Amino acid sequence: MTNDLIYNDLRLMTNINGMNIIEIRNLTKVYDAKTIPVYALNGVDLAFREGEFTCIVGPSGSGKTTMLNLVGGLDSPTGGEIVIDNTDITGLKSRMLIDFRLRNIGFVFQSFNLIPVLTAKENVEFIMQLQGVNKEQRDKRTLELLDSVGLSDKINVRPNKLSGGQQQRVAVARALASKPKFILADEPTANLDSKSAENLLEIMEILNREENITFIFSTHDPRVVAKARRVITLEDGKIVGDISKN
Amino acid sequence: MIFKIAFKNVWRNKVRSMIVIISVTLGLTGGIFAVSIITGMMEQKVRMDINNETSHIQIHHPQFLKNFESQYSIPDADSIAGMISKWSDVKAVCTRIRITGMAASPNSVAGVQIMGVDPLQEKKVSDLYATIPDTGGGYFTGTRKNQIVIGRKLADKLKVRLKSKIVIRFQNTDGNLAEAAFSVNGIFRTANTVFDETNVFIKKSDLNPLMEGENESQEIAVILKDIDKIPVAETLLKSRLPGLDIRNWIELRPEMGLITSAIAIEVYIILGIILFALAFGIVNTMMMIVFERTRELGMLMAVGMSKSRVFRMIMLETVFLTLIGGIIGMILGAALTGFFHRTGIDLSSLSKGLGAYGFDAKIYPFISRELYINLTVMIFCTGILSAIMPARKALKLKPVEAIRIE
Ligand SMILES: Nc1ncnc2c1ncn2[C@@H]1O[C@H](COP(=O)(O)OP(=O)(O)OP(=O)(O)O)[C@@H](O)[C@H]1O
Ligand SMILES: [Mg+2]
Repeated sequence: MTNDLIYNDLRLMTNINGMNIIEIRNLTKVYDAKTIPVYALNGVDLAFREGEFTCIVGPSGSGKTTMLNLVGGLDSPTGGEIVIDNTDITGLKSRMLIDFRLRNIGFVFQSFNLIPVLTAKENVEFIMQLQGVNKEQRDKRTLELLDSVGLSDKINVRPNKLSGGQQQRVAVARALASKPKFILADEPTANLDSKSAENLLEIMEILNREENITFIFSTHDPRVVAKARRVITLEDGKIVGDISKN
Repeated sequence: MIFKIAFKNVWRNKVRSMIVIISVTLGLTGGIFAVSIITGMMEQKVRMDINNETSHIQIHHPQFLKNFESQYSIPDADSIAGMISKWSDVKAVCTRIRITGMAASPNSVAGVQIMGVDPLQEKKVSDLYATIPDTGGGYFTGTRKNQIVIGRKLADKLKVRLKSKIVIRFQNTDGNLAEAAFSVNGIFRTANTVFDETNVFIKKSDLNPLMEGENESQEIAVILKDIDKIPVAETLLKSRLPGLDIRNWIELRPEMGLITSAIAIEVYIILGIILFALAFGIVNTMMMIVFERTRELGMLMAVGMSKSRVFRMIMLETVFLTLIGGIIGMILGAALTGFFHRTGIDLSSLSKGLGAYGFDAKIYPFISRELYINLTVMIFCTGILSAIMPARKALKLKPVEAIRIE
């Protein structure tokens, strides 16, 4: 009851401000539709605004990964719309979608984020090369980004010589490199010890505060949840909570 | 960038990549060496045929090669030869009397081609004199009349030795039977035992009186400075000597032409089979690699690497893997071929058998530059073709499935 109220308030507010960068309408994802259908997402309506620092929580199997994958254009929904910057990405063809991801969305995965044969610098630079950014700009931005995640001393180090936390920080820098509209991170701290997890979150927070980078991440870790300014709770594919802190 | 990643990827699993590279290297080294032996044998055979037997071009009366009758001689053969010998592409020219006849010793009789030659002219065109071993006498030495030079095989057949007498018998230009006794001055031995059995050489000056005609020649043999000039020289000869029959060595020995072109094809078949077999190993390795890198490839596609780039990356990686082995294999193959080209490979234990087919006992492996160029292209294509299946497999990956944590 309370949750619903807050949720409605938020929708109202965001609509008035007109600053939504992601709008999700009646989003549904059904797995195994033919045999025993699993409603991984069941009619979700949601909006995200620029500059959010949002955490998605919920028990295992509640649909967090499913939602982030759909918003990131990595998977296609069974029903509903995902409008990013006036584009309904559910209607995009696979080839267009890849390019859309490249230009608009930054990703940080739980693991296997980096190309093992490339150094930290090359991993960050790689995304800009895909985008066709010139060498000079690439070099400049790569160094800035690695500096902002506190890895200026690891520029020429390969992933296997970096700790898990350092690798995830490179992944954040890599995700930022393309100047995306927002960054999606599915359990980015799941494989990290608590200190590294805290450190990663701190860096994300600073980037959010100082550079207005939008982060949407999921987690099971209460300490990570505590850092978020908006917490969306999923249960059985439905939103059961959406709380914003100031 | 994709180039760089692909190249670095090759060295990710060093042991596995080395196994592929080594197998490609060994396959090609072996293939090239085997092929170089075959082409080396062919090359030698062709050279010997030309130098000892056919020369580059022969000229006859248009009827002569049909039934080898001595009445079909070349009018004015010596002045024609004189004219040709002045051409810049021509190394040497000689005229010959050529008649079919019999050679008889007290023990045996054999049908032979009797070649009437001018030893000085002849030595410039034909290397036959050089095939006479130290123990085989000489090539028309001294001034004695009625010397004859015969092949080893014929000497054995007639059971004659140096200085033995042989009676030569033939029908002369007027249709009368002519015969005379000759003494064996030299016994040559080419790699072609059939040639050695059927050809005897006599000085023109000894043969002319028996012919009764005046200084007639049935054959003009031409050797050029360069074998590649044959078509040019042939065209020129045909336009200058329209009434005569002009043939190059392949036309004179059509079976040689056939064998050479069959071998040229065979060489590509051998290399093709080797590359085909290697391709299986490459495909297998690359399929494993794509399977192992499922998550990484999924991540790359998730963050925005297009399918065509993923395809190219796998493709390049496969081509690199193939080319590295291919280039090392070509270098080793070339080195091995080059080494044995200088030292030769002695197959004298097999030489009796080879000799019957006109092959030399010592083989000098050889590979043409053209074959190397084509082989490079073939290796490159093998790489590309082997890459298609793994690269397609990579394309079928769906990012969500690839990155899902099990
Ligand atoms: N590829 C799939 N095929 C079938 N069912 C799936 C598939 N992916 C997810 N599911 C189901 O959809 C539901 C939601 O899964 P999802 O992975 O989104 O949950 P989650 O909230 O991310 O869980 P976790 O916290 O364990 O990561 C679950 O019931 C899951 O079993
Ligand atoms: Mg999940």
